[in-house]
Amino acid sequence: MKKRRSLLLLTGIFFTAVIVVFFTNGVQGVEEVTSDSPLMRADVITIDALKSLGDLEQPPVVFLHDLHTDAVEKQNKDCSACHLSEENRQSPKFKRLKDTSRQQVMDIYHLDCMQCHREVLKAGEKAGPVEKCGECHQGQPKAVSDKELIVFDKSLHFRHTEAAKDKCETCHHQYDEVAKKLFHAKGKEGSCLYCHKQQTEENRISKRLASHLSCIQCHRETLATNKKMPQAKDQKAGPIKCSGCHAEQQLQLIKRIKDVPRMKRNQPDVVLIQAVMPDVKRPKTAPTILMSPVPFDHKSHEKYNDTCRVCHHADLNTCSSCHSVAGKKEGNYVRSEQAMHQLDSDRSCLGCHGSRQSKSSCAGCHASIPIESKQQTSYCVQCHNKQPQRSTANLKPEQLARMMLKSRTAMTDTYRDKDIPETITIKDLSNKYDPVYFPHRRIVRRLVTEIKNDKLAQYFHSQKGTICQACHHNSPATKKPPRCYSCHGKPFNEAELLRPGMKGAYHQQCFGCHQQMGIKKPDSLNCVECHKEQKK
Amino acid sequence: MSVSRRKFLGWLTAAGLSGSAFGKVAHAATTKHFEGHPDSLGVLYDNTKCIGCRTCEAACNNVNDLPPPDRPFDDLSVLDNKRRTDPKKYMVINKYAGSVNVKTPLFARTGCNHCLEPACASSCFVRAYTKTESGAVTYDSSVCVGCRYCMLACPFNIPTFEYDAAFTPRIRKCTMCYDTRLVKGELPGCVEACPSESFTFGKRTDLLRIARERIRRYPGRYLDHIYGENEMGGTSWLYLSGVPFRKIGMREDLGITPAPQFTSSALAAVPMVVGTWPLLLMGIYAMSKRKDKIAKEEKEQALAEVTAQVKAEADQKVSEAWKKASQEKEKAIEAAVKQALEAAADVETEENS
Amino acid sequence: MSQEATTTEKSLVSPFNIIAGIIVLIGLYLTVRRFTGGLGAVTNLSDNNAWGIWIGFDLLTGVALAAGGYVTAAAVYIFGMKKYHSALRPAVLTGFLGYALVVLALHYDVGRPWRLPYPFVVQAGTSSVLFEVGACVALYLTVLFLEFSPAALEWLGLKKARNLAVKFTLVLVVFGIILSTLHQSSLGALFLIAPSKVHPLWYSSFIPVYFFVSSIIAGLSMVIFESTLSHRFFADKMDEAHLREKDDIALGFGKAASYVIAGYIAIQLLGIGADDEWRLLGTGYGLWYLVELFGFFGVACLGFAIGAREKKVQLIRWTSAWAVLAVIVNRFNVSLVAFNYHLPASDRYFPSWMEIGISVFLVTLGLIAFRFIVSRMPILYEHPEYEDVH
Repeated sequence: MKKRRSLLLLTGIFFTAVIVVFFTNGVQGVEEVTSDSPLMRADVITIDALKSLGDLEQPPVVFLHDLHTDAVEKQNKDCSACHLSEENRQSPKFKRLKDTSRQQVMDIYHLDCMQCHREVLKAGEKAGPVEKCGECHQGQPKAVSDKELIVFDKSLHFRHTEAAKDKCETCHHQYDEVAKKLFHAKGKEGSCLYCHKQQTEENRISKRLASHLSCIQCHRETLATNKKMPQAKDQKAGPIKCSGCHAEQQLQLIKRIKDVPRMKRNQPDVVLIQAVMPDVKRPKTAPTILMSPVPFDHKSHEKYNDTCRVCHHADLNTCSSCHSVAGKKEGNYVRSEQAMHQLDSDRSCLGCHGSRQSKSSCAGCHASIPIESKQQTSYCVQCHNKQPQRSTANLKPEQLARMMLKSRTAMTDTYRDKDIPETITIKDLSNKYDPVYFPHRRIVRRLVTEIKNDKLAQYFHSQKGTICQACHHNSPATKKPPRCYSCHGKPFNEAELLRPGMKGAYHQQCFGCHQQMGIKKPDSLNCVECHKEQKK
Repeated sequence: MSVSRRKFLGWLTAAGLSGSAFGKVAHAATTKHFEGHPDSLGVLYDNTKCIGCRTCEAACNNVNDLPPPDRPFDDLSVLDNKRRTDPKKYMVINKYAGSVNVKTPLFARTGCNHCLEPACASSCFVRAYTKTESGAVTYDSSVCVGCRYCMLACPFNIPTFEYDAAFTPRIRKCTMCYDTRLVKGELPGCVEACPSESFTFGKRTDLLRIARERIRRYPGRYLDHIYGENEMGGTSWLYLSGVPFRKIGMREDLGITPAPQFTSSALAAVPMVVGTWPLLLMGIYAMSKRKDKIAKEEKEQALAEVTAQVKAEADQKVSEAWKKASQEKEKAIEAAVKQALEAAADVETEENS
Repeated sequence: MSQEATTTEKSLVSPFNIIAGIIVLIGLYLTVRRFTGGLGAVTNLSDNNAWGIWIGFDLLTGVALAAGGYVTAAAVYIFGMKKYHSALRPAVLTGFLGYALVVLALHYDVGRPWRLPYPFVVQAGTSSVLFEVGACVALYLTVLFLEFSPAALEWLGLKKARNLAVKFTLVLVVFGIILSTLHQSSLGALFLIAPSKVHPLWYSSFIPVYFFVSSIIAGLSMVIFESTLSHRFFADKMDEAHLREKDDIALGFGKAASYVIAGYIAIQLLGIGADDEWRLLGTGYGLWYLVELFGFFGVACLGFAIGAREKKVQLIRWTSAWAVLAVIVNRFNVSLVAFNYHLPASDRYFPSWMEIGISVFLVTLGLIAFRFIVSRMPILYEHPEYEDVH
């Protein structure tokens, strides 16, 4: 008896030891085994339809739509194999038009999905799961969505207007609250996203549903029509599969039209942006104009952006219709000053212009210019141009704007060659290296070339010497700007805490600019490319 | 079982006292926060300016007369492996991958941070480390015993030991060039050598101001945190980075408590123990001695009682026996006298016939 | 039971002597290597792992296991438990040899051992816990030496000196308990300075308390363990009192140990709760912590408790070995396993065979010294001339 007990004890100890060793594997810092990374696909749909009907008992199902589209195509069927239609409108739901009850929806999915799978299996092909819950309801999904969102830019819009033969009503509609139906308001077309938001609201489907119902439907119809015309060699229409719009690789393949003709929406060519304050007491009189107006070249700005939505983020009206001087409810109380000037916004004037400065041809200089919240008044004048003489008082705003724009000058060049030293010999510091023979003029000319086609730069670099201020910084623009040693000397001067010493100044300026502009030669790490080593 | 109960209570008291003596209570001993000697110096390392050229490492090696490295300092492939300080290097530059915002590789300097309240100085039992007024933490190899507790204590894992020296093993670490440069009013070697002035040298208070101003001016360039401002109670070597510090191999979980504060409560308990233990122990000794004495007295008393009782019984027995014996003796005498008289009478009658 | 040394009668060639001899020879070779080649030539220590088994085992474990001296002295002199008297001298001897070996091991580990007196004579770093450890260990070694001296003096026949030495016993015992409390806890306090390097389950501001209480456990268990071994190998040196009392000692100390271990487990769990670390118990390290606490200490507690209640001396003896192992595991965990837990596996430390060799060598020296003393001096028996019971 005693022997059996001690044997039992030993067995117990042995098993405990095994379990301990197994689970304390991580104690000595053993690397953990990484699981297989999931598959990245653009056609992942997460089926959690029952969420609206109660709590989910199982994890949502990861459904690969394109996979099924291909499989259905193989069987010579089309979308109607899974999607029911009502009044020519196809329901995006699976084999049902509406969500009725929890049990019914669940049954539809279970029975219909698995039935089809079984049939395919019987035919000897690979199919999805037929039995085990966990094969569809994956706790740790084997496929993960890497869906890109397609941007319906000007180029795509143009291709669609051509295909629709300029019939805007094909896609654009508005909703009549009274008649409770859709109608086309000519001249008032706007972006789908102005009305169709992230979530479905009452009477207004989400942008996801809207785009899939409208776009895919039209594409399918076009494809069907094209099929009937065998002579149409180019049997193309837009994509109907997920990957066509959402897979990164497919997106690259979409044809882009350069130089899209201007959209015809009765938009102005130039606008005079005026900050006005209406007189509340005497509303009929002309409002007071607060600041020098800004002449705005709307036509050119249309070319600079891919969509109108970049600036017209809520609708295609003027900015001031929502953003008044004091702020309105429609504009979320964002005042016009904020709307135009906010630096970290991508819709405001200054914000957009600021983000252009991070281009590699600009960043070499602009990255090292610190952010100052208080601008000098001389900057304001560059947009709020001075009003011309009294004789223009009777001009209409648009005419005034045109005039002011015409009078603007662009600085396309800097000083003449004879005023720019060709080479600067920097021998202030060398005890280890030969002097640097700095190709000064060549670099200046290079900078000028970089801004050759950049109208923004050419306008804002208002003086000949502005471009010199890239390196000759913290000093006014002039033909004879200060030399580096005028300000930079010994490092770590307590009176000028933020000013690097001479060596640091040179290297920070040069390295910084080269890095921002992506210049690989000279290599910052290869000292002798700029200064040879001294022969001892 | 009463003995064990008393013992138990005694131990419980002892445990309670020791618990209160060693626990976190002693932290309340001080509210002082050392912000560094006034005008103490420091270095600000800005990793957005560092290009990873290793000129600083070469200068450090040169100024401190360190042995030549295995691979030359212009061999940048060395940066492909993560290194730590060792007897040949007081300071290393390590390379880290860039991030979404920063496409170029990033660098970080690893070396002594010259903490305001250094763990090494607190842990050294021969005071081989000194936090000088200049801010540098220096090491004196003339008293070092080589116990390596400082290596354990340093949260940044900086001190390195000459394990291969048999008779004169030393700890090696960055000294901020105190003896070679600072006392002469010169810049530390790495600071002077860096071409892009990634190291800024000056008063610690000024450096903090510079760092904050840089963050304010270029918010997209820097993470809004000066590493070393408060870490481990503050260090003289400060860091600015374009990415989170854990991405450049610097621990973010060290906390702001200066290292000496971790052991100060344990050390503060020492005089408490020395003071209270004698009372406690002698008290228990006295109690147990007294208990023994009482037990002894009770035992003696019981013994005395029993002895007395036994004696009394014995006495009684003896007197009874004595009485009996004397009675018998008398009887015997009587009988003998009687017999003798009878015998004498018999003899007389015989003579007379 | 003869008082004369019987070693001269036995041949010098015994299994123990052969193995011990080999170990000693290897140890001497390694000693030469250590002192001519430096630490790097003999150890696997690195800049990230500055302390290895010479600290983890020889120092931390050695000091913990030598705690039997103060624990037994406290039991006999302070708490007045006369029936454990026969355990006193063996415990004090184990303690004295233990601490002597700790100091010897320190000479190997430290870079410049000849400078060990520096903190006391040249420059004292009193902000350091290590200073306090050093001072207390040095003083305590002296105390132990003085507590042990009566046995040696009896052997040498120096009556007057011996009587003088005995007079100081109580003072030495109190001093010894104070010093032991201080340095046993301070050895744990050493790790307080590195919270970022010790796994949170083992790091706590109560490490000093944990180390102190577990040293009591170690002391109690070592006395039982050592008495088991002594009875196995040195029974012929024991007098009647020893032989008679041995089971009482085992039962009494075992019972005490079960209470102390129970208390230790309680304060460990309280510490976990105070730092809100329960969810860490679900990790690999957490499991190992539970194994240490319940698999080693918990099982020992049970073994002692059952043994004390059922009066099973054999169970107590086996449990004492397990409890000693528990304390060893705890010291290893704090200094080697939970330390640097955040480093990748390639940066972790494992001792070299030479380090292990030196440690084994030192333990063997201890065993040889123990055997020498026990076979000659009145440790396991009372010298007939000095049979005055205290």
